[in-house]
Amino acid sequence: MVEKEDLFKNGKRWDGRTPTDLRTPLAITAGVLKRAQGSAMIEWGKNKVLAAVYGPREVFPKHLADPAKAIINARYIMAPFSGLDDHGRSGPNRRSIEISKVAKHVFENAILVEQFPKTMIDVYMEVLQSDGGTRVSAITAASVALADAGIPMRDLPVGMSAGKVGDAMLLDLDKYEDNLGDSDIPTVILPRTGEILLSQMDGMLSKKDVNDAFDLMFENAKFVREKQLQALRDRYEKVEAQVQGENA
Amino acid sequence: MNEMIFPGDLVADHEQHIPGCYTENGKTYAATLALRQNDHVVPLKGQYVPRVGEEVVGIVTDERFSGYTLELNSPYEGDLSTRETREELKLGAVVACKILAVNEVKMATLVEPHPLPEAILVKMEAVKVPRLIGRNGSMLDVIQKHTQSQITVGKNGYVAISGGDTKLAVDVVEKIERESHVPGLTDRVTKMLEHKSGEMHG
Amino acid sequence: MILDQVKKNFIQQKIQDGEREDGRGFFDYRPIRIQKGFVPNAEGSCLAQIGDTKVLCGVKFDVMAPFADRPEEGVFMTNAEFAPLAHPDFHPGPPNEDSIELARVVDRGIRSAELLDVKNMFLEEGKVLGLFVDLYILDHEGNLMDTAALAAMGALLDTKVPKYEGGKIVRNEFLGPLKLSDTVVTTSFERIGSQIIVDAAPAEETASSGRLTLGTADGDLICATQKSGRAGITRPQYDEMMDVAFQKHGELADALKG
Repeated sequence: MVEKEDLFKNGKRWDGRTPTDLRTPLAITAGVLKRAQGSAMIEWGKNKVLAAVYGPREVFPKHLADPAKAIINARYIMAPFSGLDDHGRSGPNRRSIEISKVAKHVFENAILVEQFPKTMIDVYMEVLQSDGGTRVSAITAASVALADAGIPMRDLPVGMSAGKVGDAMLLDLDKYEDNLGDSDIPTVILPRTGEILLSQMDGMLSKKDVNDAFDLMFENAKFVREKQLQALRDRYEKVEAQVQGENA
Repeated sequence: MNEMIFPGDLVADHEQHIPGCYTENGKTYAATLALRQNDHVVPLKGQYVPRVGEEVVGIVTDERFSGYTLELNSPYEGDLSTRETREELKLGAVVACKILAVNEVKMATLVEPHPLPEAILVKMEAVKVPRLIGRNGSMLDVIQKHTQSQITVGKNGYVAISGGDTKLAVDVVEKIERESHVPGLTDRVTKMLEHKSGEMHG
Repeated sequence: MILDQVKKNFIQQKIQDGEREDGRGFFDYRPIRIQKGFVPNAEGSCLAQIGDTKVLCGVKFDVMAPFADRPEEGVFMTNAEFAPLAHPDFHPGPPNEDSIELARVVDRGIRSAELLDVKNMFLEEGKVLGLFVDLYILDHEGNLMDTAALAAMGALLDTKVPKYEGGKIVRNEFLGPLKLSDTVVTTSFERIGSQIIVDAAPAEETASSGRLTLGTADGDLICATQKSGRAGITRPQYDEMMDVAFQKHGELADALKG
């Protein structure tokens, strides 16, 4: 059991990271599901999240169709066995409904929705194992699944979190730092424009704290983006390697 | 493999309308996964959206008072008026058509239907159809010559194959879809065709 | 509503020309009215109005079992009801994503600022006070979020802690006012074109591409944020909004005192 005092001592975090270290592994695999149009699995620290995309397809229910653009249906949900604590309740709860809503807004921004009027794009995010920062892991994976599905986008949204433990601003909080720490700042960044697409912080933060957190997250977003791109590249490089093997 | 580009990557310093790309503030960026080949951007992924004048292959999914609805491997359906066909089409029938018009919400009006009753239907990524056809139809000619199959390629990614060595034809189409991004595709396809059709006939 | 949709282009053009439909400045609120004690039967209540938007908040205490991981702390819960009488697009039914979001953002601000002393809500082994904050949207004329946050804060300021005797709450007998450590309000910004405004009217909300809500506590602190809607926010915009929110915090806190 980790106690609050253990979280940050002598410049080191309880798991040995420095304040600016991301968790390891940070591994993304694209195209992990056969049936879905696009998919991705992310392992970020102890988080494991699966994302899948269907569409653009016919809107269900039909009356929601927008003649000007595609509508996004985003569903973030945690499996009842995903946490270290007791068996959770299946299905959406108030927290997951709120997260699904703001995740939807992220994808509405990133996807070129005007290209597909009167359709719906479904983005499913299933948290299989949770360890803090699941929403940003889920959105990071879903971005890869969307690209894998061939959905046209302005850029790949990158999820990040930071937060304060005592006086220290730490990047990429895990479950203990999130639960026992003083604040949590989940953020989604669109790297190309530097826009913030999701911001849901809690805690008590000064303007300087907020900017310190953004500095940390923006600085490291590039690294996460590179992981996203590598996941997509791998899919095609694997085929290439195979073909070259056959013809060698 | 050519350089792979990703959504958000800069493609041109000016506005240019390229498939798989978008423009913003006077610049052009990639919107989908694509390969950069010299000046070209070749998308690797992307849904089919009907465009006027294109030849497509569709599947009849519904019949109404005035005509048929065709599924086009796209979020958007096609509408084929009964006036266009003397033949009665069954649900599930595979039909090659031309797109006469596309309305504001991308619904396609189809004309010149050619039912393909015996065909085997293969689905491929629509953005890869040009690779199956090849320069001036060269790839398709080679495949048809070796397989003796009649191959109707819809721009929408539905490929109807009938007659000849259909199994080989299907295998080749699937190979092209899978390996189109790996250089040397034409050679590999020719080799496969010569090898396999040789196997069968000799 | 379709009428708001038609107004959309008009509003966008006006904002671009530096004007709002009702003549307000970009960072001006409509008149604010706070009526505490609106429902005397509740342990605390407040009807908050910003312009014509009306949100009623009622606070009730109940005796309940604590959460297993916090056996000595009271329980605090926030819920929002989008009453069908408030807007033609509101329909009866279970909470939807909008009402859940509203309640959770209000809740997040109060919780983060540790406004309530939940340790003081312990009654006896296995029993704690539960404090229920219910937000009733009565008239939706834009900026529900800030109106709801004002109603909640106003109702908590009005709340009296009831007497507890023989395992039950004695209604209408009070130990004293509920102790609060802070003032928590929210300032919601809408982005219309490249312009940022506060306290949007309905047509302005329709013309908006996205919203950022900043929850603030005393002493220039941010206690909650929520980015909602499609628009992205740049860092310079975020910075400006924090400055404006700290400024508005004073105005809104003053309105609550009256």
